[in-house]
Amino acid sequence: MLEAKELMVFYENMLALNNVSITAETGSVIGIFGSNSAGKSTLMYTLAGIMLDIKKKEEMRGGERITLFGALTLEGRDISNLPAHARAKLGIVLCPERRRIFPESSVLENLKIGSYLTGIRERKKNLEYVLGVFPRLHEFLGRQGGFLSGGEQQMLAIGRALMANPKVLLLDEPLLGLSPVYQKIVIEAIKEIRKTRGITIVVSEQYSRPVIPIIDKGYIIENGSSILEGTKEELMDNPDVKSAYFGI
Amino acid sequence: MEVRRKERIDRGIKVRSEGIYCVSSPKEMLYVAGPRLLLIAGLLLLPLVLEMAPYWKRVVNIMCVYGLLAISFDFLANVVGLVCLGGAMFIGVGGYMTAIFNVYLHCPVFLAIPLAGLSGALICTVLLLPCLALRGVYFAIVTLMYPLLFTRIIEALNILGGTNGITGLDSFPNPYLENYVIIVLLLIFLFGLRRLMDEDIGLVLRGVKDNDQSVRASGINVAHLKALAVFITSFIGCLGGAYLAHLYMWAGLSLFALDFSIIPIAAVTIGGGGSMMGAVIGTFILVPLSEFLRFFGTFRIVIYCLILTGFIVFRSEGLLTYFARKYDQFERWAKI
Repeated sequence: MLEAKELMVFYENMLALNNVSITAETGSVIGIFGSNSAGKSTLMYTLAGIMLDIKKKEEMRGGERITLFGALTLEGRDISNLPAHARAKLGIVLCPERRRIFPESSVLENLKIGSYLTGIRERKKNLEYVLGVFPRLHEFLGRQGGFLSGGEQQMLAIGRALMANPKVLLLDEPLLGLSPVYQKIVIEAIKEIRKTRGITIVVSEQYSRPVIPIIDKGYIIENGSSILEGTKEELMDNPDVKSAYFGI
Repeated sequence: MEVRRKERIDRGIKVRSEGIYCVSSPKEMLYVAGPRLLLIAGLLLLPLVLEMAPYWKRVVNIMCVYGLLAISFDFLANVVGLVCLGGAMFIGVGGYMTAIFNVYLHCPVFLAIPLAGLSGALICTVLLLPCLALRGVYFAIVTLMYPLLFTRIIEALNILGGTNGITGLDSFPNPYLENYVIIVLLLIFLFGLRRLMDEDIGLVLRGVKDNDQSVRASGINVAHLKALAVFITSFIGCLGGAYLAHLYMWAGLSLFALDFSIIPIAAVTIGGGGSMMGAVIGTFILVPLSEFLRFFGTFRIVIYCLILTGFIVFRSEGLLTYFARKYDQFERWAKI
């Protein structure tokens, strides 16, 4: 279980996350919804530990001062101060916004980099699993990542995250810029990963309509605060949410 | 437990004297102009203060030459995004050009230096034109190779005085002129480049660094812009080289020394990049420091390297960024 308590993030004097608490039960799918600049990516970076890296980098560069508060626990263990790579070892794996695949490596190499932490045997098993989830990647294994289309890159990015044997998979805007066809493929993949692997999945998305049917619990974030949380039915029944986020 | 964080707040006077507000009181004017005036006044007074120490006057001259190289490196690297290790090329070409104008064509000093600057800049730009499409480390490598190329050509063909160099350049008419020529040049180019950065062309050049595809998409020819930027920087560098040649009254192969490429980079690292001012402050620390360290003989390189590494690891923001922040902002604890 991943638990975030009263997370607060300041970018210099701007409050980017205000008292956000999130509980993700093992094996559940959590949706984080909000418009641009709501704080979704900040939340994902904070969960993955990348925020600590950004903070350090800014300090070195003399840029904005980032201040973090709050507690993060993974299965009861406090991970608030662990750097990103240590959290990845514990099983929190981020699939970043805008894919961030390695454009000059082939698809297979991209996947291999993802499985750096696991052994050879695990790697083979995971590779088969990823190719099972995204059969289309089979055709591209030898191609350079940078030459794939946006949708294919997204599949590759999720595949790369899966290669690391995650316990908690953080998907930051996995549907960004995808056509409805690819959106469907990704959504189906999330469903299948959940069914076969039983891992915790946290999905952040602006456009919540395709995501809402597959989540167990959702949070709506606005201006850095979590303004509403509940099961998908509760979210769907809220009239404000309906008009603002689902366009119904 | 009480939760608090340190927050940074702009000083009131900074807010009042910046942006849409206009500077209204003498105090605000002093706040804005103070640091700049301090630098200008300090530089102009330096030769008078060091009246009794001709050796240190010479150090000031050389420091200013390095200052010119540092602002040109800073401009090219942190504004346009071309990492240029060709300081030695600019100095060498400028030095040899002024020697040609002064010794062979008998131009007076104050005509030879600007002519050398212009012609040297032209030569450097033409030589670098084919490499402008290269990015990052490739451009750096090419600019690092050119000084070596020039040295070997002059050595092998025994032209331009060969290994002995060209001697008999005119010196400056009097020692004050010698000091003030380079100080005024440094100040002009320092504030000129800062002004240029705020103009439209500066904005576009910064755009080239961030994303040249978007600049092209806005209908701007990136190659022209880069060539212009290289011309400006090599002009500054060549003027420094021409000055140096007249200072030594000699133009030789040591003008192509690697120091002219390396020290400016170190200075920018220490002072903080992107503002030109940091580059100048960096040279004002590094060059006198290396003179003090002369006491340690060749061991000074070790101390030099340690100081540099320390700066890069622990204060990579640079001194100027640090002090500018202290000057413009104050910190206080805020409860949450």
